[in-house]
Amino acid sequence: MTDASKLSPTAPAPGLRQLFSGMLMVALSAFGGGLSAWSQRIIVEQRRWMSNEEFLTGLTVARLFPGPNQINMAVYVGTFFRGLPGALAALAGMLLVPFTLLMGVGLLYFEFHTLPALDRVLAGVVAAAAGMALSMGFKILDQYWKDPMALLLAAVTFVLMTFFHVRLVPLVLVAGPLAMAWYWPRPSHTRPTAGAPR
Amino acid sequence: MPPLLLAAAAEAASCTPMRLNDLGHLLQVMGTFLGLSLFSLGGGNTLLTEYHHLSVEQYCWLRPSQFADIYALAEAAPGPSSMIVGLLGMGAGWPEGPGWALLTAYGAEIAILLPSTLLMVVACLSWNRLRDSPWRVAFERGLGPITLGILFAVGVKILKTADTNAAGVVVSLLVCVLMLRTRISPLWFMAVAGGLGAFGLINR
Repeated sequence: MTDASKLSPTAPAPGLRQLFSGMLMVALSAFGGGLSAWSQRIIVEQRRWMSNEEFLTGLTVARLFPGPNQINMAVYVGTFFRGLPGALAALAGMLLVPFTLLMGVGLLYFEFHTLPALDRVLAGVVAAAAGMALSMGFKILDQYWKDPMALLLAAVTFVLMTFFHVRLVPLVLVAGPLAMAWYWPRPSHTRPTAGAPR
Repeated sequence: MPPLLLAAAAEAASCTPMRLNDLGHLLQVMGTFLGLSLFSLGGGNTLLTEYHHLSVEQYCWLRPSQFADIYALAEAAPGPSSMIVGLLGMGAGWPEGPGWALLTAYGAEIAILLPSTLLMVVACLSWNRLRDSPWRVAFERGLGPITLGILFAVGVKILKTADTNAAGVVVSLLVCVLMLRTRISPLWFMAVAGGLGAFGLINR
């Protein structure tokens, strides 16, 4: 234990209103991006609600479970102190401003998207956004590079969805349990690695 | 007419927009998103092909180009990109006027977030027991590769939906590489590409 982690959780547990305002601050600070860095700075360093270790556990849980990571993180922080009501308060704080803003943008879009000038600009923006979408898979590819089974599973999933138009829900319901069975932790051996006999 | 084209024409003709002018349809939309919520793996982006299928092919709320626009808007806007569901709901309700569009937008967003939020609350409260469970380990390791495959399928789907000219595809590929190799904010890529679109270099 470092000094910092001993010192950090000094503040009393936040109430519902503080959870709301804290997450509102996180959402406002992160307007340029870097949401998880901002939530760490505000929750751990400024408000001292949690130790860094507790925060990192939250990130792990948020990534593991279904749902958007940042939203799950807000739910974690809220639940940590006030259970379900806390989760809803934190979620409301996190979403209020961005969602209201997006609704405004959406109304403008549906009202004006037929204007040729706007459509031309959007054609360009869409090309950039497609590039961002394309990068998502490559971003996490590295961690599976040495696991042939993982690459095979990913390839089969990709082919089924792209060329055979298999829908997401049946795919996950069939492939998920099979993959879980393959990766079920075996006590005697280490996890399957490249070239290791099964 | 070749059979493939005929089939495509028949599909397009059968796809009449689902009107959301009564509460029953709104609840149906919410039910659809409620059912999808727990399949949002890997941060939620895995659902994009499913959103595309529902809003463009099944219910015909949006034309393909509109879906691409909405994806771009949700990516450009600050906050979690999963808020795209609010925009899908808005598109669904738009024919009934802005008020109803906002109602469906909020309904859709709440529906997509509710189940995963409840599961997350349960997970947080029982994390100490879950942490060392073999189920957790198998879930994490097993679903990871599947998520990887889905994300690649999503990338290809969005690229196809964007349906820009050759210059646009080159920009898409360039942005993909820059996203992986640099830490430049994606907003810059969107701004520059938007400029290229305004001058007619990228079109669709």
